[in-house]
Amino acid sequence: MLLPRFEYHEPTTLEDALKLLHELGGNARVLAGGTDLLVKMKRKVDKPSHVISVARVPGMDQIIPRNGHAVTIGAGVTAAELARSELLMDRFTPLAIAAGKLGAPPIRNRASIGGNLANARPAADFPPPCMVLSATLKLKSATGERDVPVNDFFRGPGETIIEPNELLVSLHIETPPPWSGGSYIKLGARKALEISMVNVAAMLTLQSADGPIVDARIALGAVAPTPVRAFAAEDLLVGAMPSEELFQKAGEVGVGMCSPITDHRGTMEYRCMMIEVLTKRCLTEALARAKTWKP
Amino acid sequence: MKTLIQLTVNGELVEAAVDANRTLVQFLREDLELTGTKHGCGLGDCGACTVLLDGKPVNSCLVLAVQANGRSVLTIEGLAENGKLHPIQQAFVDKGAIQCGFCTPGMILSAKALLDTNTKPTEIEIRTAISGNLCRCTGYQKIVQAIQTAAEEMTAKEGS
Amino acid sequence: MRDFQVLGARAPRLDAPAKSTGQAKYADDLTMPGMLYGAILQSPIAHGKILNIDASKARKLKGVRAVVTAREAGLVKYGVSPARYDETLYCHEKVRYVGDEIAAVAAVDLETALEAVELIKVDYEELPAVLDMFEAMKEGAPQLHDEFPGNVTAEVHQEFGETEPLMAQCDLVVDHTFLSKRQDGAFIEPHSCLAVFDLQGKLTLHTSTQVPHYVMRTVAMVLRIPVGDVRVVKPYVGGGFGPKSEATPLEMSACLLSKVTGKPVKMNYTREQVFLHSRARHQFYAEMSLGVKKDGTLVALKNKAVLDGGAYTSFGIATVYYSGSLLGGPYRLQAMKYDGWRAYTNKPACGAQRGHGGVAHRACFEQLLDKAADQLGIDPVEMRLKNVMVAGQTTINELDMSSLGMKECIEAVRNGSDWKNKKGKLPRGKGIGSACGFFVSGAGYPIYRSDTYHSTVVIKVAEDGGTVTVLTGSAEIGQGSDTMLAMIAAETLGIPLECVRVFSGDTEYSVDLGAYSSRQTLMTGHAAKEAAENVRRQIAEVLSVHMGRDVDDITFRNGNVLFRGGPGNFEKLRQGYIKEHRGWTDPPGGDYFTFREAARLAFLEKGTLVGTGKYKPPRLGGAYKGAAVGTSPAYGCSAQVVEVSVDLETGQVSVDNMTDAHDCGLAINLTSVEGQMQGSLSMGLGECLFEEVKFDSRGRIINASLGEYKIPTALDMPNVKSIVVESNEPNGPYGAKEVGEGAIMPTIPAILNAIYDATGVRINELPVTAERLYMAMKENQKKP
Repeated sequence: MLLPRFEYHEPTTLEDALKLLHELGGNARVLAGGTDLLVKMKRKVDKPSHVISVARVPGMDQIIPRNGHAVTIGAGVTAAELARSELLMDRFTPLAIAAGKLGAPPIRNRASIGGNLANARPAADFPPPCMVLSATLKLKSATGERDVPVNDFFRGPGETIIEPNELLVSLHIETPPPWSGGSYIKLGARKALEISMVNVAAMLTLQSADGPIVDARIALGAVAPTPVRAFAAEDLLVGAMPSEELFQKAGEVGVGMCSPITDHRGTMEYRCMMIEVLTKRCLTEALARAKTWKP
Repeated sequence: MKTLIQLTVNGELVEAAVDANRTLVQFLREDLELTGTKHGCGLGDCGACTVLLDGKPVNSCLVLAVQANGRSVLTIEGLAENGKLHPIQQAFVDKGAIQCGFCTPGMILSAKALLDTNTKPTEIEIRTAISGNLCRCTGYQKIVQAIQTAAEEMTAKEGS
Repeated sequence: MRDFQVLGARAPRLDAPAKSTGQAKYADDLTMPGMLYGAILQSPIAHGKILNIDASKARKLKGVRAVVTAREAGLVKYGVSPARYDETLYCHEKVRYVGDEIAAVAAVDLETALEAVELIKVDYEELPAVLDMFEAMKEGAPQLHDEFPGNVTAEVHQEFGETEPLMAQCDLVVDHTFLSKRQDGAFIEPHSCLAVFDLQGKLTLHTSTQVPHYVMRTVAMVLRIPVGDVRVVKPYVGGGFGPKSEATPLEMSACLLSKVTGKPVKMNYTREQVFLHSRARHQFYAEMSLGVKKDGTLVALKNKAVLDGGAYTSFGIATVYYSGSLLGGPYRLQAMKYDGWRAYTNKPACGAQRGHGGVAHRACFEQLLDKAADQLGIDPVEMRLKNVMVAGQTTINELDMSSLGMKECIEAVRNGSDWKNKKGKLPRGKGIGSACGFFVSGAGYPIYRSDTYHSTVVIKVAEDGGTVTVLTGSAEIGQGSDTMLAMIAAETLGIPLECVRVFSGDTEYSVDLGAYSSRQTLMTGHAAKEAAENVRRQIAEVLSVHMGRDVDDITFRNGNVLFRGGPGNFEKLRQGYIKEHRGWTDPPGGDYFTFREAARLAFLEKGTLVGTGKYKPPRLGGAYKGAAVGTSPAYGCSAQVVEVSVDLETGQVSVDNMTDAHDCGLAINLTSVEGQMQGSLSMGLGECLFEEVKFDSRGRIINASLGEYKIPTALDMPNVKSIVVESNEPNGPYGAKEVGEGAIMPTIPAILNAIYDATGVRINELPVTAERLYMAMKENQKKP
């Protein structure tokens, strides 16, 4: 399959990248791993006249720990790097798990977290983990920058709040407090190379190993035009002692937050039922990790 | 407008002027005549075009040739040395891991990337490592066995 | 007594080193100086009249060398079965599916060719389309072909024995319906070809095909050139599995464009076009009733089939016959009634795929058998054992089971899977299931009515006697036929395997119908054996004169000549050979006269040593209509036991263990036999759990990619315990028969029977997606 013709830019500084974006705006697309963009271009779904690679922009491919309080993840970091990171697996578990389930190794070696978020596919692997980790996205342009909570980032299938002159530069995630644990589950047909029919990320924070839940976050993908936080289900959990019944109920409430569609991958009815099951399971796994939290 | 790129392919420095929309698989197959890298789907779905880019398996149909500028590419042609098969290739031959052979180059390179970082992989690690390389012929079993055998061979060689 | 020097071993494939290093050339790896690139214009609508085709803009585009439509190509009708030639190379009056070919372009590069295709303007009058096989056969449905009213490609009505009266006498009659889905071959190499006319007007077509011979004939017919002017060369092929068993519009377009431009023309299908061309497995609907006795004896079967054929016939007539005939065995039946219809719909044409025509109906039948066993309280494996046929028996539809290790296969998987300790003893969510099946070792008749040999082989000996070359038109497509032929030649000639070279896949080498219906081992194997025997006899005859020995006293083994009663006095002959090869560093030595020396002697006597062999099956099968389909000189058979885990909360199925036994007669190359078995199971698992080509309401494929059309990955396929059961097939070369397709037969029903064991739910529609099983389990809970 041939790619359409385009002009290629490969800035080596962030300033140059932003300047190019400023000048070319809507005619340009940002290229990171290419696993989404190049597919869209080959399928002629997208036909930009300019492509700006950010591969040589310094810092975009780094995971930077912030003294245990937080982590900054460059938008160009690949899924493979995220899956490999012990820090992420330890403290930001849903993200690391999701990274290891995206596509397959050759895809993971190219696909970037920034690209996955900016493409805003409803079934994408990274949005739910970023949402339960309350990631903040740094968007820069030639004229300024802004920090956007990931919850406010998605607007619809393939749509985000990024302006044509803006670049998603990095994600900032505060380290969850002690006695936190999280997980991520995706439901697909195959065990690799899959696009989720439903995916769920969850984070739980306990007061202590055997204490009540003090914070809970659940995010669901492929069940609405954008990934969604199940706030009502979270509210149900906070302050309660964790139990299977409680998690079951949270799943049931979670369904109410979704508006899945029927498509060739699955029906609305089945998706709703799976939201229930997977939410319960994901919470159960998150709980197990929270209980065994280590300083 | 063409861009001048310089990269290492199978250990040799290559310089070329390429169009921006030229993918790495096109560049390798058509410009360098390295047709061992196969073209199976063009969309990153099958893994037939897998090459190692700086040691990591990637779908070369989803990498622009210009993106490989300054990097190192290993294709299946770069594996055998002086006409002697690499232990992974030899194991694929010996264990019956090859039928139609169209997934084989990508499969072997994915296996190499695995064994370069993990000398004693478990079966599930092997299956995960090749999970982006579809094979319609073998049911994967003999491929997994070949990679296990190659791992043993390579470890034994290291030790001796 | 079995005493082989080459056969029955684990030989590394001859082509494996080339394939492991990237040196093996596939069609798309070939280039020629001045080569043009072709592209095809395909219909964007499912059904419509063509009002006008305007290619003027395309012709004017810089770099375009030719544009061809029906006007240039002519309207020669072709297809697979001469009884239903219903295609023309390009559509002229109407288009019948999204993807139907309208025109082709040759240009200096692919980009230009694709641009030109987009510049061809076609005016359509859109017609109502019919996408469902049942709708297609209803009165008033849109009609695809004037010549075949009612949208019926073919219908079959067969009855063997007295079905109804026997059914009435049965203690139990069980019913089942089953709906499978359209599959794709999903070989990893898309179709590719390179055609070139030389200055004498002779054509060479390099193409990724399973059947060089049929492609040669079809190209000659459609392009109206003599068969002898067409040479089809098959380079390495990246898998076929059936859909590459007929000439494609891609191939014929490349040939035509080369003829028009005088240049070599390369053409490829994209992955999407592979789906659009299809010719893969039909969608099948099966409706069956099985009558049994209380003791588990199978008595009578009623079988009804409806096949969704798509817009053209392709292999479809054979397919709809196979859906009936392949239930004649491997169990004894006293009566069998079959009614089948194949419908035309406005979708890509379906054809043959691994287990041609038999897979879905086998899946339905083997579930039915389990259902009966369940209701009678009989262990399903024991019930199968009770009813299996044995070697020498003939099925009710007159298929001769000249060898049949069915019982041995069932016992092997029963023991190998620890069935007795698992069946009925696994917890809910875990299940075990079994099934059997059988398949032809080569279709008994060619696709066109003919007395042609099905295979001929030429064996040539190098002038120094040291290397033997097998020349054959047979098609190595990954299954290992080249290695198989080398092994048969080596065994027959009594020389080491490394002394044999194989040149195959070229219509100039010999006549061979190709790689379909699991025919290469039995049929080409026979021809190779005969050719080798011919060469061996010629050498022995010359040798007998020189050595003064009776021909019958001379045998060959491991590269040596054995004379009865001792090595013989050959010193003078040896000195002659060495003198002739002065300066060479590998003079013959040892205590025995060698094949090399003997063959050289024969060369000096007779010139280049060439032996030919041929094979065609004897007249097979009954006298009833359609009796030819299902006939074969021999039948392979297999049994499987599968264990699954079902996630009861999501419906997800994981196949944990598979035990598979296959009777392939003599296993010529054990490694290759296991490879075919494991590959078959993988395809069966995919079809059972994941695979379905899906269409939108306008007949466009939704999932024409390997991302959305899901074949198993390495993580989805378990290890298979593969047990090779060897019978001695009297009609096979050295007792060998098929393994390539029979092994897929039991896979789907074994998985489905295991799912039933795990959940109590019987699935009657493929694929068993998590959702389908979940919903079925939920429905089942509602039942009282």
